[in-house]
Amino acid sequence: MKKGMIGMALAAALAASMVAGTVCMADERTTFAVGFDAEYPPYGYMDENGDYTGFDIELAQAVCDLRGWELVKTPIAWDSKDMELESGAIDCIWSGFTINGREDDYAWSLPYVDNSQVVVVTEDSGITDLAGLEGKIVAAQAASAALELLSEGGDQADLGATFGTLQEFADYNTAFAELKAGSVDAVAMDVGVAQYQIKTSEGCKILDETLNAEQYGIGFALGNEELRDQVNESLLELLDNGTFDELAEKYELSDMVCLAAPAEEAMETETEAAEAETEAMTE
Amino acid sequence: MNLLEMNHIRKHFDGLEVIQDISLSVGEGEILSIIGPSGSGKSTMLRCATMLEKIDAGEVLYMGERAACVTEDGRQIYPKGEEAKQIRSYFGLVFQNFNLFPHYSVMKNITDAPITIQKRKRDEVYEEARSLLKKMGLEDKENAYPCQLSGGQCQRVAIARALALNPRILFFDEPTSALDPELTGEVLKVIRSLADLQIAMVIVTHEMAFARSISDRVIFMDKGVVALEGKPDAVFDSDNGRIREFLGKIAER
Amino acid sequence: MSFSVMLEQLSSGMVKSLGIFVLTLVFSLPLGLLVAFGRMSKNRLLQNIIKVYISVLRGTPLMLQLLVVYFGPYYLFGMRIGGTYRFLAIIIGFSLNYAAYFAEIYRSGIESMPVGQYEAATVLGYNKIQCFFRIIFPQVVKRILPAVTNEVITLVKDTSLSFSLAYAEMFTIAKQIAAAQTTFMPFVVAAIFYYVFNLVVAVTMEKIEKKLSYYQ
Repeated sequence: MKKGMIGMALAAALAASMVAGTVCMADERTTFAVGFDAEYPPYGYMDENGDYTGFDIELAQAVCDLRGWELVKTPIAWDSKDMELESGAIDCIWSGFTINGREDDYAWSLPYVDNSQVVVVTEDSGITDLAGLEGKIVAAQAASAALELLSEGGDQADLGATFGTLQEFADYNTAFAELKAGSVDAVAMDVGVAQYQIKTSEGCKILDETLNAEQYGIGFALGNEELRDQVNESLLELLDNGTFDELAEKYELSDMVCLAAPAEEAMETETEAAEAETEAMTE
Repeated sequence: MNLLEMNHIRKHFDGLEVIQDISLSVGEGEILSIIGPSGSGKSTMLRCATMLEKIDAGEVLYMGERAACVTEDGRQIYPKGEEAKQIRSYFGLVFQNFNLFPHYSVMKNITDAPITIQKRKRDEVYEEARSLLKKMGLEDKENAYPCQLSGGQCQRVAIARALALNPRILFFDEPTSALDPELTGEVLKVIRSLADLQIAMVIVTHEMAFARSISDRVIFMDKGVVALEGKPDAVFDSDNGRIREFLGKIAER
Repeated sequence: MSFSVMLEQLSSGMVKSLGIFVLTLVFSLPLGLLVAFGRMSKNRLLQNIIKVYISVLRGTPLMLQLLVVYFGPYYLFGMRIGGTYRFLAIIIGFSLNYAAYFAEIYRSGIESMPVGQYEAATVLGYNKIQCFFRIIFPQVVKRILPAVTNEVITLVKDTSLSFSLAYAEMFTIAKQIAAAQTTFMPFVVAAIFYYVFNLVVAVTMEKIEKKLSYYQ
């Protein structure tokens, strides 16, 4: 009855927010609509059989299996993710979604992947570090974490300013084609995606120097902390029973995953933060 | 009772009085020709009679039924629905440029209105249409399309189309003006052959010899008024200055 | 992913593209005619409303219109969207947009009809509706066919704009396979599919044109 005990422990940990009385019982949930970018392997993509799969998708499926929900895999246009979430077309954004820089914009799950933003160049480009990008054409996906990081107001805006051009593109496939064709000098992106891409792109390498370190989480709409907490609970259960690590291994992400039960103290802080958040919302 | 009566008709376009207080009547089976120079208002008169043009004053009656009327205070009254349909069934109109329906075969051009408007039996209408075509000398053209016919043949189909609705009166608006000279004869011959059908005809034409020989009565219009009216010989032989000038110009052509 | 699986996936996307194509035509062709009537209406207010409608729908990108139709109900009325509405929004968006184009094509055709055709029909006793559908419209169809063919061919390619709502039609699927397989092959195949699709459309339209060429 391990399952039940974990549940009870979590219930106790979550008592604070319960007491605050802001959490009301949701309608009996039967479906769980996960919004994801279907062009973002290995997190979400179309598999050999034409079905949507990936680390995030399988993880979401495992959560649904635990909860008795039906998983609705909803591919979204990445540019429209906020509209999809706000309008209720999807319940969460679960798609290798970077927390850093967006901390206050979503109700975040526990971070589950340590991800850093890296730069991919061709081996014969002679570029070996970030300083070598000065005056070069660097590409980043529209609305991506890498782009935000390098654009004005981002943590690496100063570096971004040294580039010749910071070019936006729609999908990584195109970006790599341009890189190989020489029309861009470098592509900035998540390390996980970079590793997946260079497996099939000969002559490309990832610079050792990273742009930053950041984490992936699952983004829920602000005010939807209850659902977030349910998913968190299930995630920890999957970590506990080994499913999480199995999936990480399957997708070669074992070096990067970072899901961990929050320490008692940290958990409390988080709950308080969530509480403060909901209170702010209520006001 | 007169078949058609037009009383004190006025019509102007952009302030120009095209018809100034004209009255005319047509009896059962009567053949009336309207002649006159271009712009004298002949065609407009026909268009007012056939309700294609709204009148500014006066009234139009068919068999004593009011087809158009303008009241003292200037309101135009036109019948609607069934009443209008009834009045339209009294007359037919043959246009200068035929206005056949190009997407319909000759047969369909003739039979579509009797079948869809008058709800007559298809077989009966087809039979009648064939005899009309024979009368027009077009018995081998029933499956042809208008674009495959000469102008004279088209105009004969148009006449058959008008006749198929069994009108009491048939208007011709310069029926040969759009035709090559060598084709006018065949059309005039057909119109002439209709005389024994006992249908009243009002013919606006520039064919003076034709008008003189076929008509029971001739109206000479000039500058929006009826300048002269009477038996053909009386009109054509009149020493009225305006008609002499007009006939002189026609002869010069 | 084997080539045959890719073909299978793209074919299933093609079926969805075809669905968008057919439904858009089914709704936009009649709607366009209604819009054209409004545009030619003697009622000034209606006429101006339709003018604005046509101007906006022709003057803004279809992709943007799709986003507005899809997300509009939530942002304007707070309605929950999602599920089947994604497809519905695509059909609504495409139909409204194409109706605007078709309306102007209809109008050009109707206004090019000689007035004599109306007059002949009127004198023969056809009422307005009979006159339009028996005499005028069949001739208008023949006149506007080349312009309609242009639009229909554009529509085939425009169905790919559904990717902006992540609807799994052929282009969206091609993009997804391309991302997963890091190859451009799906795009090549998709291009061939679109081309063949349009070839069929063009040949069909040519056949219809030929069928209507029995008169001038």
